[in-house]
Amino acid sequence: MAFDLTVNGTRHTIDADPTTPLLWVIREHLGLTGTKFTCGIGQCGACTLHIDGQAIRSCSVPANVAVGKRITTIEGISPDGSHPIQIAWKELDTPQCGYCQSGMIMSALALLQRRPDPSDADINASVTNICRCGTYHRVRQAIHVAANLMKSRRQQ
Amino acid sequence: MSVDRREFLSIAATASGAFVLGFWVPTQSNAQSVPGAAWYEDPATPEINAWIVISPDDTVTIRIGQTELGQGVWTSNAMMVAEELQCDWNKVRPQYASANRDAREKAPEWTLNVPGNGAKDPKGGGEPGFANRDPHGVNGIPDSLYRRMRTNAASSVKDGRYYLQLAGAEARERLLLAASDLWTVPVSELTAKDSIINHTASGRTTTYGQIAGRAARTPHPHPETIKIKSPDQWTLMGTERKNLDVPAKVMGKTVYGIDVRVPGMKWAAVKACPVYGGTVKSYDFDNIRQLPGVRSAVQFPIPDPALTRGRIFSGGVAVIADTWYQAKTALDRMPIEWEIPPAHAAFNTANMRQALLAGLDQPGNVRVNQGNVDDVFTGAAKVVEATYSTPYLARARMEAGNATVLVTDNRVDIWIGDQSPQETRFSASKITGIPEENVYLNLCHLGGGFGRNGNGPQAEQAIMIANAHRGTPIHLLWTREEDFIGTTYRAMGMARLKAALDAEGWPVALEVRTAMQEGGFGPEASFDVASRYYVPNYRFSNHTTKFHVPVGTRRGVGQAAHEFYRESFMNELAHAAGKDPYYYRRELISRTSLPYKDDMIRALDIAAEMSGWGKPLPRGTAQAIALEERGGETNRMATVSAMVHTVSVSREGKVKLERVDIAHETGFSLVNPLSVKKQLEGQIIWFYNDAMHQANTIEEGRIVENNFDKFRISHIDEAPPEINIRFFKTGHWLLGMGHDRATSVQSAIGDAIFQITGKRLRDLPYGGQDLSWSIPDPTQNAVPRQL
Ligand code: FES
Ligand code: FES
Repeated sequence: MAFDLTVNGTRHTIDADPTTPLLWVIREHLGLTGTKFTCGIGQCGACTLHIDGQAIRSCSVPANVAVGKRITTIEGISPDGSHPIQIAWKELDTPQCGYCQSGMIMSALALLQRRPDPSDADINASVTNICRCGTYHRVRQAIHVAANLMKSRRQQ
Repeated sequence: MSVDRREFLSIAATASGAFVLGFWVPTQSNAQSVPGAAWYEDPATPEINAWIVISPDDTVTIRIGQTELGQGVWTSNAMMVAEELQCDWNKVRPQYASANRDAREKAPEWTLNVPGNGAKDPKGGGEPGFANRDPHGVNGIPDSLYRRMRTNAASSVKDGRYYLQLAGAEARERLLLAASDLWTVPVSELTAKDSIINHTASGRTTTYGQIAGRAARTPHPHPETIKIKSPDQWTLMGTERKNLDVPAKVMGKTVYGIDVRVPGMKWAAVKACPVYGGTVKSYDFDNIRQLPGVRSAVQFPIPDPALTRGRIFSGGVAVIADTWYQAKTALDRMPIEWEIPPAHAAFNTANMRQALLAGLDQPGNVRVNQGNVDDVFTGAAKVVEATYSTPYLARARMEAGNATVLVTDNRVDIWIGDQSPQETRFSASKITGIPEENVYLNLCHLGGGFGRNGNGPQAEQAIMIANAHRGTPIHLLWTREEDFIGTTYRAMGMARLKAALDAEGWPVALEVRTAMQEGGFGPEASFDVASRYYVPNYRFSNHTTKFHVPVGTRRGVGQAAHEFYRESFMNELAHAAGKDPYYYRRELISRTSLPYKDDMIRALDIAAEMSGWGKPLPRGTAQAIALEERGGETNRMATVSAMVHTVSVSREGKVKLERVDIAHETGFSLVNPLSVKKQLEGQIIWFYNDAMHQANTIEEGRIVENNFDKFRISHIDEAPPEINIRFFKTGHWLLGMGHDRATSVQSAIGDAIFQITGKRLRDLPYGGQDLSWSIPDPTQNAVPRQL
């Protein structure tokens, strides 16, 4: 059964069971492997992407939920790693194994888009992704650095 | 039912059709690179040596024998080579070394002996562990081309530094010889820096890229010229360097094993018997064969224990389909009956705990017996005794187990993130009967490691399944639940510590008994060398019991549990003696003759000073201190640090790790201090989870906590808001950084809970226990500041 999804600005026709979790359509049918599988039950956030700007754990939603909506994955936030959040992440050398980081960045980005100057409490409440390597110390700093970079970009 | 052999063959035929032009092997290095960065791949340009290729645009490709799993080895190993090569660091690109080539070539003679260790360690540390040679890197370091390709025991720097520095030095000397040959000037008149060779007298310069072809044809330089630099000569090593693979990671472009796609590839979802040692009695493929995408099913036996270091995992069954999600959903619907050994199904956490406790009452294996412990106990002024326990623990790395394998008639290709590729190469050969020289591993980054893929059978399962589907690349991927079956566990353990104190509160006798599953790693964990803190009469025995859970080398092995026992007990003794735990430790270390005692005291002093130790704290907040050292009781290599943890407990019983102050030695020098800081930060979170949240329990022989709803991993809100790290220089080589550097989170949170609430908890994890407290102020129990 075919259906259409718009991912990172491009429209794709998907030939799959439309109730397949969005994660697997993104990874297997579209070959966008930046979005990760870890728990499959909505616990870890490694599969986080945006649907219409909202952070969604894609392992736990059927793909057809996103029909007619805008899906953004880690591959879609910049072509070259130049998004302020990526610059901030590099500045802090945030990732260790990196496996959780796509999801972490997508969660943090959704927060920054909603709340351009988040407090630590905002971060605690919104960025609930799991990082087994324990990069939280740098993730927090990187979110604040990204907030500043995004602010100065807006002012330019 | 059995698997339809014709089905395999038809798949094999189509797939091999796709491969008539030879194998398509994705270039891992390209995959790992950031777009726009030049990776040198042209086979026409010869390498300088097996580690180094330099392209005409001066890009230096450095081949890395260890696996990047977040510890920064792609960067630190490259730094060790580049330091000696004296190349432009901005043009360095790491690439995985070929495990296949490693099966075919011996290490060059000049890497086998190290002319000088770079710096003289007064305790003789810094010698590579080359004495034992083992072709698969398990019990020693191979003398095959890339030597030790394992990534374990926090040893990548310790064991790799010599030959990596030598490789850089050898290549530098070749480049200089090539320039000297070209210009007909003596090598002694040339200098090399940042990939540029200068001849000052004539004003001539060339770059590494320009001269590389000639250098590759230059004979091996005189061995005298390839000495490695001592730390005081380092200019790159010892400086903070951002990790070279981070740019790809923040773009989602890093290729982990799970991301590998090979033409014609099919996906395998598997279920292994959830009780270890179990196998498949029957399964009904007919029930699911009509489901979309489904191709075949294959049963596999318990992987040969000879390939999994004696561990008994389970037999299982795989469903192969066009996509993984199809395979997984079909497998979920396939009826499977298990053959379960009744003795294994009889195990549960309660009866296993009973067995360990009973072990503690036996004489056990007495490893140390100094003085006369029993007599001293008889006449002691005060006796303190405590029994602690630590649960089974999984590693639970984020990337679920996976491997992609293609077996054809005389060749095996494997795409995998693997902490021990030489072992996997051996497994592939044993399972398929194809010689190791024809096994090709395409190594990928790992989404966390924490012990060789859990020493689990992801590769062995995938090879068995692919061997039954020759010609078709099979990508096996475990669900998270399956990953908890396929991993090995840190063994559940218990310890009973008993001390006699003299009238002033100093220990005069100590008896330590530990109990652990047989085969658990580190059942002695340095208790067998010394008690660490001074005591004139000391006995240590360990006790092992047979259980069915496969146990392995989880981060910190036995040490992490043993540090919890030891440092918790030291806090209890200090409180019993009415003494300050910092002062108590300091005094007891100073009474020892431990080889690293000065460094230990310095670490304690610096950490105490950093934390403001002894200053009044608000009610509900407490501090605890501990030494973090590895190897410090021995007269060989050690890594020494101390930590102070500031912890609060709300009246409702909510624990918060507020702040961590760390004094960490650098030895002669760290390689990449930035990676060390990241290791320390990450390990605080790791051991916080061990302390607060994590346990794997057993019911009817199965692991109960098999996903992150039950096996909890903390979020950012529980991370300590403040981490302070101060490095101090010492005069020896370090043992390693990767795994047991923050074990004191466990004992410190326990002691803070005691100081604040009056409750002494001795079973990990603390989370889920009632930690609430109320007035009158229970900080009466707190540390008396008697100095
Ligand atoms: S994989 Fe989706 S939340 Fe874990
Ligand atoms: S960086 Fe490894 S899991 Fe987060």
